[in-house]
Amino acid sequence: MTAVSIAGVTKVFNAGRSDEVTALSDVDLTVDSGQFVSLIGPSGCGKSTLLRLIADLIEPTSGTVTVAGKPARQARRDQEYGIAFQQAGLFEWRTVRRNVELPLELRRTPRQQRRARAEEMLGLVGLSDFGGHYPAQLSGGMQQRVAIARALAVHPPLLLMDEPFGALDEMTRERLQTELLQICAKTETSTVFVTHSISEAVFLSDKVVVMSARPGRIVATIDVELPSRDEAARQSTAYFDTVTAVRKALRS
Amino acid sequence: MKWARTVLPPVVVGVLGLAGWELTVKLGRIAPFILPAPSAIWAELVEQRGNVLDAALASGANALAGLIGGTVVAVLAALLTSQARWLSDVSVPFAAVVNALPIIALAPILNNMFDSTSSVPRRLVAGIIVFFPVFVNTLRGLREVDPTHRELMDSYAAGGWKFARLVRLPSALPHLFTGLRQASSLAVIAAVVAEYFGGLQDGLGARITSAAAFTAYPRAWAFVAGACALGLAFYLTTLLLERLAMPWKARS
Repeated sequence: MTAVSIAGVTKVFNAGRSDEVTALSDVDLTVDSGQFVSLIGPSGCGKSTLLRLIADLIEPTSGTVTVAGKPARQARRDQEYGIAFQQAGLFEWRTVRRNVELPLELRRTPRQQRRARAEEMLGLVGLSDFGGHYPAQLSGGMQQRVAIARALAVHPPLLLMDEPFGALDEMTRERLQTELLQICAKTETSTVFVTHSISEAVFLSDKVVVMSARPGRIVATIDVELPSRDEAARQSTAYFDTVTAVRKALRS
Repeated sequence: MKWARTVLPPVVVGVLGLAGWELTVKLGRIAPFILPAPSAIWAELVEQRGNVLDAALASGANALAGLIGGTVVAVLAALLTSQARWLSDVSVPFAAVVNALPIIALAPILNNMFDSTSSVPRRLVAGIIVFFPVFVNTLRGLREVDPTHRELMDSYAAGGWKFARLVRLPSALPHLFTGLRQASSLAVIAAVVAEYFGGLQDGLGARITSAAAFTAYPRAWAFVAGACALGLAFYLTTLLLERLAMPWKARS
C-alpha cells in the first residue's frame, strides 16, 4: 500500500509571464505506508512546493498526485492527512485543547469524543497539563508540539510537515525529533518531512529525497538503515555514512 | 502599591487642576458667564442631580441604541465586504462618504423626517457616527489573516462562512474593539449634539442649550459635566467588554 504517489509532476508559477518560475520539473516520488520520508535541498529547490502539492494546497501544472489511493483533492476533503508548518499557527483565541479539537470540530465529531481525543493527543506530546492554557502562554517548542498534536488529532494515515522544528533551538529540536519518531511508530503514520538539516533528515527518515534547485527536481534517493532510532543512533557509523552520502548528493 | 502608582498621579493632577481653576476664577474675578468656578458647578450639580441623571439616562439610551445598531450594521457590512473583492471596491469609498457626512447637516433634516416626540433621529445620528470607525477597523482585521491559518483551514477544506466564523472574525476582534473604543465616546457626543438641532428635548444637549439661553452658566456646566461622565462610562464599559471578549489577551 502506498501512502503517496507522485507521477511526472511539474509545477510552473506565473506561467506565461516574465517572472515565470519552474518550481518543480518532472518529479516522481513514492511514499510507502508507514514510511518516514524527508525532502531535503537548498532553498528554492521546491521541497515546500512538493509538500503543498501533496496537501493539495496548490495544483500541479501537469502530472498526478495520489494520496491514500485517491486524487489529492479528494484526500484533502476526506482529511486523509494532518499538516504542520514552520510557524505553529495556533489560533491564539482558542485554548490549547480547543486548538487540537478544531480539525475534529470540522469533522462534526461529537463533543465527548473530541475532548477525549484531544486529551489523548496532548498526552502523546507531553502537554496534558496545558490543555486550558492559551497558546501565548506557551514557549515556542511547546506551541510546536501542540501543532503536531493538532495535525495528528484526526488520526490521519499521513503526516505532512514543513520544517516544523526550523525555528527551534538545537536541544529542543533533538528532543522533539525523538518524540516525533515515537509518535509516528505508535500511530503507524506515514510522514513526509521537509527540512534543510542533513542530520535531522538522516536521523528521522527511512528514505531521504535529495533535491536541487532551478528547476526543482529529485537528484538522489537515499535509503537510511540505522540499527535503532535513539541517542546511540546519532553516534553510529551507519548514521555518519548516510550523512556523508546525503552531503555528497547535495553537492553534486 | 501598583494600584497606587497608576491611580494616584492622575488624581493628584486632577485635584491640583481643579484647585488652580477655582483660585484663578476667585482671585482673577473672572465673570461667571465666562468661566464659573468648580465649586459653583458642583453646587449646581448637587442641586440638579435629579435632572442631570434623567437627562443623562435619556441621552445614554440614545447613545446606546446608536452604538449597538451602528456596530451591528458595521460588523455585518465588514463581514460581507471581506467575502468579495468587488464588494470592498464599492463599499470602501461609500463608507468614506458616510464618514464625511457632517452630523450637523444631518440632524435637522432627520428631526423633520420624524415626529417631534420621536427618539429615532438622535439614535440614527449616533448610529451613523458609530458606523465608520467600527466598519473600517473591523474590515482591516478581517482582511489580515495569518497565511499559516489560511493554509491550515484550506487543508481542512474549510472555506467561506466557516472560515469567516472560525478564523476571520476572532482574529479581527482586537481591531473591532479599537473601532468600538473610538465609537463609544463618539456615540455619546452624537446623541448630545443632535439635540441642539431640535427634536425631542429630554437629553443633556437640550438641557445645556436651555441653561445657556437663561444665562444659568453654572447649570449649563453641570450638564456638561454629566455628559462627560456619560462618555466616560461608555468608554470604560467598552474597555471592560474588550477584556471579557478576549480572555486570551489578559492571560498572556
